[in-house]
Amino acid sequence: MKKLLTTILSLGVAASAALAGDLSLTAVKVSDKLDTVSADSALWSKAKFSTVDLYPQTAIEFNDKEAIEANKANKGKKVQVAALHNGSEIAVLVKWADGSKNVQGIKCTDTYSDGFALQFAGSTKKAQPLPYIGMGSEGRPVVVHLQKATEKVYEPNGNKDVSTQINRQQTGVFGKELAEYDAKVASLANTDFERVFVGEGFRSLTEIKDKSVKSNASMKYENKGWTGTLVRPLKDDYISASGTLPVAIAVWDGAKHGRNGLKLLSSWVAINLEGSKANNAVVAEATEVSKGDAVKGKLAAETNGCAGCHQIDKSAPAGTMAPSLVNIGGYSTAAYLRESILKPSAVVVPGYNRNAHANTPWYTIEKGKRVSTMTDYSFLDKGTVDDIVAYLKTLKVEVE
Amino acid sequence: MSKRQLAMVMDLNKCIGCQTCTVACKTQWTNRNGREYMYWNNVETYPGTGYPKNWMELGGGFDAAGDLQPGVIPNLEADYGVPWDYNYESLMGGMADSNTFHPHVSPTWGPNWDEDQGAGAFPQDNYFFYLPRICNHCTNPGCLSACPRDAIFKREEDGVVLVDLDRCQGYRYCIAGCPYKKIYFNPKISKSEKCILCFPRIEQGLPPACAQQCVGRIRFVGFLDDEESQVYKLVHKYKVAIGLRSDYGTQPNVYYIPPTESPAKFDAEGKIIEGSTRLPIEELEKLFGPAVHDSIKTLKAEMKKRKETGVSELMDLLIAYQHSDMFRLDNNYYQQVAKENKRNPLAPVDTRYIAGKFTKAGGHH
Ligand code: SF4
Ligand code: SF4
Repeated sequence: MKKLLTTILSLGVAASAALAGDLSLTAVKVSDKLDTVSADSALWSKAKFSTVDLYPQTAIEFNDKEAIEANKANKGKKVQVAALHNGSEIAVLVKWADGSKNVQGIKCTDTYSDGFALQFAGSTKKAQPLPYIGMGSEGRPVVVHLQKATEKVYEPNGNKDVSTQINRQQTGVFGKELAEYDAKVASLANTDFERVFVGEGFRSLTEIKDKSVKSNASMKYENKGWTGTLVRPLKDDYISASGTLPVAIAVWDGAKHGRNGLKLLSSWVAINLEGSKANNAVVAEATEVSKGDAVKGKLAAETNGCAGCHQIDKSAPAGTMAPSLVNIGGYSTAAYLRESILKPSAVVVPGYNRNAHANTPWYTIEKGKRVSTMTDYSFLDKGTVDDIVAYLKTLKVEVE
Repeated sequence: MSKRQLAMVMDLNKCIGCQTCTVACKTQWTNRNGREYMYWNNVETYPGTGYPKNWMELGGGFDAAGDLQPGVIPNLEADYGVPWDYNYESLMGGMADSNTFHPHVSPTWGPNWDEDQGAGAFPQDNYFFYLPRICNHCTNPGCLSACPRDAIFKREEDGVVLVDLDRCQGYRYCIAGCPYKKIYFNPKISKSEKCILCFPRIEQGLPPACAQQCVGRIRFVGFLDDEESQVYKLVHKYKVAIGLRSDYGTQPNVYYIPPTESPAKFDAEGKIIEGSTRLPIEELEKLFGPAVHDSIKTLKAEMKKRKETGVSELMDLLIAYQHSDMFRLDNNYYQQVAKENKRNPLAPVDTRYIAGKFTKAGGHH
């Protein structure tokens, strides 16, 4: 029943925004400048808040013993999202509950910080299907804004350039000069961990260091929760959106040793820019609910041997051959799932992790490209593929 | 797999635990900027807790089927030990907060906390030896397999394992994945760092600092495919040099000549028990596997042969009459690589360590 309801509602774009899960939301148009917007800005009272579900990303198991233990019983999480735009900039706010504030210790090797990331699809002109969430896909780049919770520490120039430190043993001799130097350093000290990356598929994610993206992200902890904000231009060298901006949201929990793939991740969310014509194709993709029959899909997945390589049921042992699908329905769009069934090599998660060992590779490299060893299932009829997609979309943990 | 592999052999019979190698490495690479606690080269007393504490029990490496094993990331304070400093400034500058020399924190743990303790009851059968350790520049590195960012790479030219500091974002799976715990997290810059086998020196024909400075002259360095090199002879020809904990499946490229001699035990009257040996062979088996038996047998046989006949290539090698005989680095090899790739022969052959393997000008994809 709920499924049917979702289908009906998702036909009306605005109505579906109220539903958690596959949705689109609206960036309210304001005339104010947004470049200094933070969690405290009064402007957010004008915004429309929507709920988005984030799911644990479990395609690959990492080899950190303590982290595996800490994330064993992970559930999905609801986050509140709001957006504002003024025609040239967009501000996005993400609010989520987190019982513990974790900031990376500067004198510690085994603590991790909380953090969040917003990912934008590079261009929506030829976006279908949208890029792979997390790394982007070849020819379909993504820009990732990452913010980690940090606190000020001593650094010579606040530029993460640690090559100019001086010998502290000389304080007695050059005390005055050093005190002045220290004061200058303290005024510059800032280890804000805000980074921007561009990626076009696995192993291409590269930090943009030339400051060509004018963005500003920040995080604030209050009432057992974080509020993260990001402001960036609607158009720059990396993204150009008209009408609708596809975005994916990720949050990390330092208490659970979260970092990198150990995170909670949303599927693509379409942000419609108020005042301009929505890009219906993008909205449709982000909100698509597969027309297939999940029950039939489960049977089709079984008869076609998916579980031979993939871990589908969480109680089954992790497959050593292919990415785990136990949460795939949470953060993947139906379009991505369909693409992966029909063209397994379109996006191939590379190896070098616990699940992909040398003896059972899930891909080969041909002419510099990763070619999946998965069978191409394009021989299945459209209806069966839809059924499998519908089934895969049901594979996700509960949201708390 | 890389085209060629550099390797090091350490003769444990000759190590005197002086830590000269540690200091050579520390002053050259890791004395500050978030690396204070790191010892890319350390020398531990074996048996002992080692550095970081109980590293052999922290997981990582591969099982028999080739699957990477989960591991634990050591804690800076409890497992490595906070790098403490002394109040030089106030003492030297006459601004004494007290007139005693004291550390700025109360240390609770540090490398070599249990130095020279060893095992067995003192004095009748106490024993230990020194175990210098650097990154093994493994052929199948656990660190590399564990990195989801593809930030660790093995150089084609010589198999040196390096961290691409541009790609590394400090996730630390590499630390969990290395069974030797020879890769470290720099909390200041949020990146992993490790022994680089002194590649800028190697490329100019100089041995790594630890090997060059070694007072005991225990370290041989060369290419494993160079049949003239000492490492080839010790590892492949005589098979006396064995990888540390080869059972971790990483195929380490630092090899050890196991300690062959240890004093006899004393009996209750303080008399030597003839034929006894303090160092239990099980300890050596744990470190070097069953191959240690043949290694020791060969070493003893060659020693005997040398005594009787005066001739033994193996003994000559291990004695290492000339320090320079211990290193065969084919200086021109790297010049050749540079030439083939039309690179400046004085610059490092491979700039990825500094520039980042995937970085292209301007930071664009
Ligand atoms: S010893 Fe550890 S850090 Fe060095 S190459 Fe092997 S696995 Fe990597
Ligand atoms: S310098 Fe040589 S003899 Fe001294 S501790 Fe290091 S390896 Fe042993």
